[in-house]
Amino acid sequence: MVEDIRRVAVIGAGVMGASIAAHVANAGLPVVLLDIVAKDGDDRSAIARGAIERMLKTEPAPFMSKAAARLVTPGNIDDDLGLIADCDLIVEAVVERLDVKQALYERIDALRKPTSIVSSNTSTIPLGRLVESQSAAFRRDFVITHFFNPPRYMRLLEVVGGPDTRADALDAVTAFADLALGKSVVRCKDRPGFIANRLGIFWLAVGVAEAAERGLAVEDADALIGRPFGIPKTGIFALIDLVGLDLMPHVIGSMAGALAPDDLFHRVNRPVATVEAMIRAGYTGRKGKGGFYRLNRERGKVKEAVDLATGDYRPERPARVPAIEEAGRSMEALMRHPGQHGRYARAVMAATLAYAALLVGDASDEVDAIDEAMRLGYNWKEGPFELIDRIGVDRFTALIVEDGLPVAPILRTAAGRSFYRVEGGIRQVLGLDGTYRDLVRPAGVIMLADVKRAGEPVLKNGSAALWDVGDGVACLEFTGKMNTLDPDVMDLIVRAVPVVAERFRALVIYNEGSNFSVGANLGLALFAANIAAWGEIEKLVAAGQEAFKALKYAPFPVVGAPSGMALGGGCEILLHCHAVQAHAETYMGLVEAGVGVVPGWGGCKEMLARWQATPKHPRGPMPGPMKVFEIVSTATVSKSAADAGDLLYLRPRDGITMNRYRLLADAKAMALRLAEDFATPVPPDYILPGPSGRVAMEMAVAQYARLGKATPHDAVVAGGLAEVLSGGDTDLLQPLGEDDVLALERRVFMRLLRTPGTLARVEHMLETGKPLRN
Amino acid sequence: MPIYKAPLRDMRFVLYELMDGDGLAALPGLETFDRTLTDAILDEAARLCETVLFPLNRSGDEEGCRFENGTVATPAGFAEAYRLFRDGGWTSLACDPAYGGQGAPATVATLFQEMMCSANLSFGTYPGLSHGAYVALHGYASDDIKALYLPKLVDGTWSGTMCLTEPHCGTDLGLIRTSAEPREDGSYALFGTKIFISAGEHDLTENIVHLVLARLPGAPKGTAGISLFVVPKVLPAEDGRPGLRNAVACGSLEHKMGIRASATCLMNFDGATGWLVGEPHKGMRAMFAMMNAERLAVGVQGLGLGEVSYQNAVAYARDRLQGRSLAGTKAPDRPADPILVHPDVRRMLLTARAHVEGCRALALWAARVLDDALHHPDPAERQAADDFVQLVTPVVKALLTDLGFETTNLGVQVFGGHGYIREHGQEQHVRDARIAQIYEGTNGIQALDLVGRKMPAHAGRYLRRFFHPVAGYIEAKSADPELAAFVGPLAKAFGRLQQATATIARRGLSRPEEAGAAASEYLHLFGLTALAYLWARMAEVSLPHLGAADPDGFYRAKVATARFYMERILPRTGALAAQIMAGGRTMMDFEDAAF
Repeated sequence: MVEDIRRVAVIGAGVMGASIAAHVANAGLPVVLLDIVAKDGDDRSAIARGAIERMLKTEPAPFMSKAAARLVTPGNIDDDLGLIADCDLIVEAVVERLDVKQALYERIDALRKPTSIVSSNTSTIPLGRLVESQSAAFRRDFVITHFFNPPRYMRLLEVVGGPDTRADALDAVTAFADLALGKSVVRCKDRPGFIANRLGIFWLAVGVAEAAERGLAVEDADALIGRPFGIPKTGIFALIDLVGLDLMPHVIGSMAGALAPDDLFHRVNRPVATVEAMIRAGYTGRKGKGGFYRLNRERGKVKEAVDLATGDYRPERPARVPAIEEAGRSMEALMRHPGQHGRYARAVMAATLAYAALLVGDASDEVDAIDEAMRLGYNWKEGPFELIDRIGVDRFTALIVEDGLPVAPILRTAAGRSFYRVEGGIRQVLGLDGTYRDLVRPAGVIMLADVKRAGEPVLKNGSAALWDVGDGVACLEFTGKMNTLDPDVMDLIVRAVPVVAERFRALVIYNEGSNFSVGANLGLALFAANIAAWGEIEKLVAAGQEAFKALKYAPFPVVGAPSGMALGGGCEILLHCHAVQAHAETYMGLVEAGVGVVPGWGGCKEMLARWQATPKHPRGPMPGPMKVFEIVSTATVSKSAADAGDLLYLRPRDGITMNRYRLLADAKAMALRLAEDFATPVPPDYILPGPSGRVAMEMAVAQYARLGKATPHDAVVAGGLAEVLSGGDTDLLQPLGEDDVLALERRVFMRLLRTPGTLARVEHMLETGKPLRN
Repeated sequence: MPIYKAPLRDMRFVLYELMDGDGLAALPGLETFDRTLTDAILDEAARLCETVLFPLNRSGDEEGCRFENGTVATPAGFAEAYRLFRDGGWTSLACDPAYGGQGAPATVATLFQEMMCSANLSFGTYPGLSHGAYVALHGYASDDIKALYLPKLVDGTWSGTMCLTEPHCGTDLGLIRTSAEPREDGSYALFGTKIFISAGEHDLTENIVHLVLARLPGAPKGTAGISLFVVPKVLPAEDGRPGLRNAVACGSLEHKMGIRASATCLMNFDGATGWLVGEPHKGMRAMFAMMNAERLAVGVQGLGLGEVSYQNAVAYARDRLQGRSLAGTKAPDRPADPILVHPDVRRMLLTARAHVEGCRALALWAARVLDDALHHPDPAERQAADDFVQLVTPVVKALLTDLGFETTNLGVQVFGGHGYIREHGQEQHVRDARIAQIYEGTNGIQALDLVGRKMPAHAGRYLRRFFHPVAGYIEAKSADPELAAFVGPLAKAFGRLQQATATIARRGLSRPEEAGAAASEYLHLFGLTALAYLWARMAEVSLPHLGAADPDGFYRAKVATARFYMERILPRTGALAAQIMAGGRTMMDFEDAAF
């Protein structure tokens, strides 16, 4: 039986331990965070307490909300170790020293309750060594839980059990990590570096050594070992800067010491004089004074990069890699491209992928586990075996044979085939035994990608599609660039409403892009504005208002299921849903002010209604609009789903899902619950303050402008927003309807869009991705 | 005898009444260019063009240039005319005062260019190319090179060329083969052959400064590996005076359809000494700086030729007596009525007139905004002005040369058979106008520049500088009943242009060939809409002057021409819009083998 984990202790309040504790708190669970007794001062728990305080200021934030921080109880090992007695899971995250850990385990074992599970966050010490001197009971209850940094954001958790570990302990930890912490658990064998770091460190090591030996510029190396392979653009060197140069020798050393002498790792693990000198000189990366890249503040914030040959800094320059373009989108063409750049790409990626194949049967028996580890642990878009499939197993094998690299047995097994295939709409993966098995999602997981593989959409156009996700639930998916909203999306919504009403019980709005939607297609809007197509633009604004209203007053429940960014129009559509099931990492906001306009697709209207109706807020016509003004004029974006609740972007009845994979299933369940006794909402009346309220809002902005916190165009935009939120020329006696507020939104939106300041903001956002402060 | 009289009245109308010419003197650096100075310059320019350059136009065409023993002799009178031209300070008109220039506004220079092109386009190519070389050196050369070459180019004792084209590469400059080998003293040895080099060799100046595109050893492929070099015909000695002859020579002259008094040379570089201008591999940037200025100037060539052709056609139509008016005899005392009475002749003359006057307004608009781009004290205004110039440069170049060619053809047609023989000079204008549609980037390339580069730039920001003023004008004037005859048609054409713009932008995203297939028609739709805007404004400016305040009928004719434009020319936009919306399938699906 799998026991619930309800209380957790984390021992070791370093960066990893403290952030693991924070993330447990993010899941809503109380957590004890212990470290050694502070040497100085009165507060013997100062180390753990200080770690919590620091985390409240850290960016990216380890906590999802301030409330989460209150769930962490700081303490010290000497006085408070007894607190672990009622904990179901005790996570050890102390210094990577065997003797320290072993001594701590003995103390833990004496105090913990019998059913508890103990885990270590070690990344370098084998499980066997950790528990060699512990009691049999301890060994049964012990696992390794290897989190990736930062634990809130990195979705991979590697879990390792030993020969004595009881199966239900592994299952309990896995279920807890999955459901409560939102992690994707990859079970690993007790091998050095487990999976992700075993391969990732190999990849980084070969990337550094080959670049140094071949005389590549770091910019060119990162451009090559980045986007062309679906790897983040940080590539090799910018990633090491993030991780910390000083950590590399430590991890490399422990792997080199533990791996068999014939392991391919030893061939690529070559010392690079420049890197060693940099570490000695204290260039440890972003956290220190710089790494392979740095911002030279002495020279007035000049971006610089290291010359790998000399170790000297020089001005950073854009990558110059014509081979990438000449190769088109073919990874093989890039690896076979004549010239220094192609040869580098080949030296790094052929060896890395060959090594990945060698790990099958060693670090893991499952190629899909290795792929998942690299996708989630290193943010590769595709895992190594997906990349090999893309090249073709036989073509890849031929390539590494030419290079004298060892050909792993799994490559021979896969010869003439691929690692993945789709049979009858179901994705399958090749096993060690040479047969394919279905990739079955766990209970409570539905992926739209699977639905799409298996069937045809109910409706579709260039920017959106409607899918049948089973049990009478339809799913509206955005499909445009960055899931932006354009006339086609609005058109599909309007067409979908009668179809869903007739053939389904409920609608979920969901997609599997990295962001739910970044809002309106600004490029399209700006182009239309530039050619003065005002009539067309106003039509689009009105079409969006109509489409979102059609959702709100649909005869079936509509559940929004965002993950990542839901900005501008992407936020507005969610505000019109009957309920939202949000992934915990949801960043919602009405950011229109940042591009110089007001929310024009009913965002003002919905926020006014929410703040007017909230029981927690003072009554009367002024406080609600003022609060909305505060939120929208500053383009406030929630830092998490939990944070969105404070802004009323989300309401108490909305749900939060920790695990990204479970979002659609959770949203679907919520939609079906709502469908049981669904009633279309009643349109609200608005009592708005009118011109006097508008003056109050404008005075607030004027105050900011005097303090230099608001720019001249901020004042123009805020003035427009004040006009909408105060209800225009209304007076307190005359309630407005939704359509009145929508008309105000349209009028002000169109007026602002014609100003040069707004056009400059939109253009700047499109070209740089950052707001212009004009 | 062909005639030419500089159209100063209309030029002043456009400059002062339409384009705020008086505002030029408010721009920093242009303070002295008030109406007094500008008028004096225009009067003097008119005199020079009418009395010195125009009389050499036909003789120059008949005689052509002669290639003898490696040198080129310009037609009789050209050398003397050039001396007068130089001594009058005309080579320095629009140049930087720091190098001896007069710093005149682009607006004034443009009007002068028009007169010169009307009077003698062939002659104009010599100082024209010098100015292009001046622009490139001024923008990109080192201070040493500038100090050595610019004063001589500005005062006209030396002239310049641009050496781009090679036998195997014209539009696609990425294919250039001319090479530059570095020497130890910092100079380079250039090897290669350039063709179609205007003013490559001649007897007007003591030295010729060639600006040459070439490749350095190991340069990247394509346009990213092209560098610019300055290669003088005669190597300047230490003191700047001409020294040794450089290893660059004219190999032959081209035999051309028109501008026959302009020396179009094949140039051989046989280890010629040159110096790098700007950074290695960045030659295209300097070349485009020159090219953009030149493209506006080439547009003006079409305008100038149209003007002179129109003047002669009007004179002929008044004199030539043939047939009787369809509405009854107009000149009973003479054997026949002047052909001016016939509807089709009037159609041709009014079409020509509307083209010429509209194009003059468009050229001046571009030049006036260019002055803002160069001189305005507010950087945001300079940016906006530069956006506009970027946008309309291809339109000015292609539209003005296409309409110039149409106009000069109408000029021949009005003359009938007498237009086709050489004595009357009308056929020369057609031949001369033809090249302007081709060089400095063919008009097809201009259209591609417009839809492929200028339209998508910054999500359409360049477009804003045209679309917003026009949309604002339509909004502001649409309720004015007096202007309804002008603003109504303008609004209709503008709507077509908006729709075509949005359509091309959308189609072009997924299928670039669609944008390419629509490009030429789009450029004309854009251009005719721009002319409609200018005609509406010209009518608006003129209407209050009608009646007693208009003794010579200038404003009456202006309003009448505006009406003609709206009713008889602007409807072409309907056909253009239909062609654009039809897409390019019929062209692209046509089998190659079937051509």
